[in-house]
Amino acid sequence: MTKGIPYSEAVSRYQAVEERPLPDGDPDEAALLARFHPDNFADSVVDLKIGPNQGDRCHRALAEMLQADARIEEADLAGAPVVETDVLVIGGGGAGCAAALVAAEMGAKVTLATKLRLGDSNTVMAEGGIQASIDKNDTPRQHYEDTLKAGHNLGDPELVAAMVNDGPDVIRWLIQQGMQFDLDKYGDVMLRRAGGTSESRVAFYRDYTGLEMMRVLREAVFNSDVEVLEYSPAVELFADQSGDCAGAVLSSLKSFSHVMVRANAVILASGGIGRMHINGFPTSNHFGATGDGLVLAYRLGAKLRDLDSFQYHPTGLAHPRHLAGSLITEGIRSAGAYLLNAQGERFIDELKGRDFVSSAILRECAEGRGVVSSKEGIGVWLDTPRIELIQPGLLDKKFPKLVQLGERSGIDPKTKPLLVYPTLHYQNGGVRIDADGRSTIPGLYCVGEVSGGIHGRNRIMGNALLDIICFGRRAGLHAAGRTHGWNHKKVTMDHLSDHRRRLTFAGLDMDIKSPMLFPVCAKFDADSDYDGFHKSRKRE
Amino acid sequence: MSEEVQEKIVNVTINGKQIQAPSTLSAIQALWHAGYPRVKSVGCLEGVCGSCRVLVRKGGTAEVKMALGCQTLVEEGMEINFLVFPNPTHHTYDLKGIPNSWEVQAEFHRIFPEAVKCRHCHGCDVSCPKNIEVERGVQLATEGRFREAGELFVECVMCNFCMTACPEFIAPNHVGLFARRATAYFLFRPSNLIRRLEQMRQGQLTVAPGDDT
Ligand SMILES: Cc1cc2nc3c(=O)[nH]c(=O)nc-3n(C[C@H](O)[C@H](O)[C@H](O)COP(=O)(O)OP(=O)(O)OC[C@H]3O[C@@H](n4cnc5c(N)ncnc54)[C@H](O)[C@@H]3O)c2cc1C
Ligand code: SF4
Ligand code: SF4
Repeated sequence: MTKGIPYSEAVSRYQAVEERPLPDGDPDEAALLARFHPDNFADSVVDLKIGPNQGDRCHRALAEMLQADARIEEADLAGAPVVETDVLVIGGGGAGCAAALVAAEMGAKVTLATKLRLGDSNTVMAEGGIQASIDKNDTPRQHYEDTLKAGHNLGDPELVAAMVNDGPDVIRWLIQQGMQFDLDKYGDVMLRRAGGTSESRVAFYRDYTGLEMMRVLREAVFNSDVEVLEYSPAVELFADQSGDCAGAVLSSLKSFSHVMVRANAVILASGGIGRMHINGFPTSNHFGATGDGLVLAYRLGAKLRDLDSFQYHPTGLAHPRHLAGSLITEGIRSAGAYLLNAQGERFIDELKGRDFVSSAILRECAEGRGVVSSKEGIGVWLDTPRIELIQPGLLDKKFPKLVQLGERSGIDPKTKPLLVYPTLHYQNGGVRIDADGRSTIPGLYCVGEVSGGIHGRNRIMGNALLDIICFGRRAGLHAAGRTHGWNHKKVTMDHLSDHRRRLTFAGLDMDIKSPMLFPVCAKFDADSDYDGFHKSRKRE
Repeated sequence: MSEEVQEKIVNVTINGKQIQAPSTLSAIQALWHAGYPRVKSVGCLEGVCGSCRVLVRKGGTAEVKMALGCQTLVEEGMEINFLVFPNPTHHTYDLKGIPNSWEVQAEFHRIFPEAVKCRHCHGCDVSCPKNIEVERGVQLATEGRFREAGELFVECVMCNFCMTACPEFIAPNHVGLFARRATAYFLFRPSNLIRRLEQMRQGQLTVAPGDDT
């Protein structure tokens, strides 16, 4: 049973107040993370037994997918149609669209395959905004330092430098694609401050930044020469005679059959892992965020990094149940919403790094100062009425999505606080890349959330949207340069026999198939429509 | 406010299947809850990707409404049918092909020749799950008032319902998006951004990895 104060009692105690003090004294941040951050939960991490990261720490759920059997065998491909292209982009979120647009503009023949509809993605859900040092008081240097510091100095300086230098040009490129940003009365880009940063650096469009970005990029892709294959998840990559990446196998959910795509370069932009529900947390991620790209890249031999580091966003909705995990943007805390425990006290500086704030919420709940809404439901208050008090009208004007979320929950955020609890939000690690988005396997580029190394072990708001466009464009440009002439003598899945041998040697479970493709709740592996595909027996 | 939302169990029909599910679940969650697989036309599960298009008939009524499956909570007697795979529009254009902002209106009529034929049938307005004034948006765009037209489509999730509903094949959502994109492309010239780009171009502020200054 969760301990804490019942919802009705806590809500009747709550009153909107303009100012509340922070607790006295500096918190011991290292101890807070060590005790309460989910990355440090006992038993959540294992050492990988096979593959390029053998011996490295990895979250248990992800390790299970990385060390599982493939969903396909060479024999399944007999008679499968073949598509030949210069650049194959896998994933139709922001990173994939940016890469595809740039590669096509450079004259490459581009095919973009995505699991669901083009634009079903984490990108479309982003609210808070995108970072770029534009403000006259700000510099790329400060952006660089903030990013490295927030990531506990574990980010790759080369990648971070590339990203902050590209920042302003990324915003210009997006405007040229037709994306709008909120402007002030002089037409300047408005900027807000993200938690854990030194300057106002987040450009935004209401709290619909991702929706605006995604519908514009989707429209741009559909109006370009890029060939789009929707409902076509990639289930395996091809290698050529020297182990370079040479294409992918897609499983079409429309025609219930496999398609082979041969390509000179593959850009993997398949996004994050939220729907793996690491450590049993709810998630803010979209339906297709099941970590497929990590599995595909790893089996082909690409190096990954920081596989035990995930971001839990402090403010996922905790009540009502059908909306649990839904994200409430950090912008709301930038605008002045406090976090309060059941006793109505603040317990952490709300604009500290996300890892600290989430850990502090988990501490309040663990120590009996949370608000209990149901058997499983517990959380702390997000003090939205304070915003209405200090800046009347701001919620309606700048946070329409939040106001709507309130309507759907039957709670008016202008008068009542919302109950929040950390939600699994972002994969900090991923495929190791260089500043052109290249993985350690020639011909395989990885961009966006599937890549790792930019954000160290903690990401600040707005840096993901910047990273996906920045490295998406870079990879698109570089991959288009690889396309002169066909250099693959042979296109195979020989790497799978090695993989299977290693699985057997290590005594790993061959009944589990990966990539995961869909969350467990959707019962894909039991779907009789897809009987022809290999099923993960463990998950039926 | 009650603390524990009372969970009623309701009977609904989804894709022809009789299902019992708690009233706090969405159509998609109810289908999963009852043990049916569903992966097609599921997306963000938060009402912004426009994928999970459904037709809904409430118990005891004849009216069929279009809605998003992840946003529709099940109710007693409801009938829900999922739609899949919306067809793309036949309109194509390239913003870079429009020589300058004086030409936008002419180009608009070339790209969307059907827009002036709007019959004001309200089909698009009625079908929009986001309550957008779609018809007015189309009207404003035909008058060249693109900024105003675009403002109406802020919450558009490109679910394509209005496109399906339109008897004149106007593709009203793409009209709205064109209006928005043209506005950004031709009218957004933020001086703070332009100044910073110029500083970067001159190499004044470029960060080299590792150097601590
Ligand atoms: C609710 C929410 C709010 C956020 N807010 C912000 C914010 O304000 N600012 C910010 O900077 N960041 C934010 N983020 C993070 C940011 O949105 C994401 O990290 C980023 O958009 C990821 O982009 P992507 O293109 O790499 O992946 P995605 O946008 O997730 O796209 C990945 C695509 O790949 C497809 N795919 C997956 N597997 C396969 C496969 N096997 N085969 C083919 N296709 C596949 C998916 O279906 C999807 O279309 C937020 C994230 C969430 C979830
Ligand atoms: S305007 Fe059309 S596409 Fe946009 S949300 Fe409304 S019905 Fe859907
Ligand atoms: S559905 Fe088409 S014709 Fe009817 S009002 Fe809307 S835009 Fe006009």
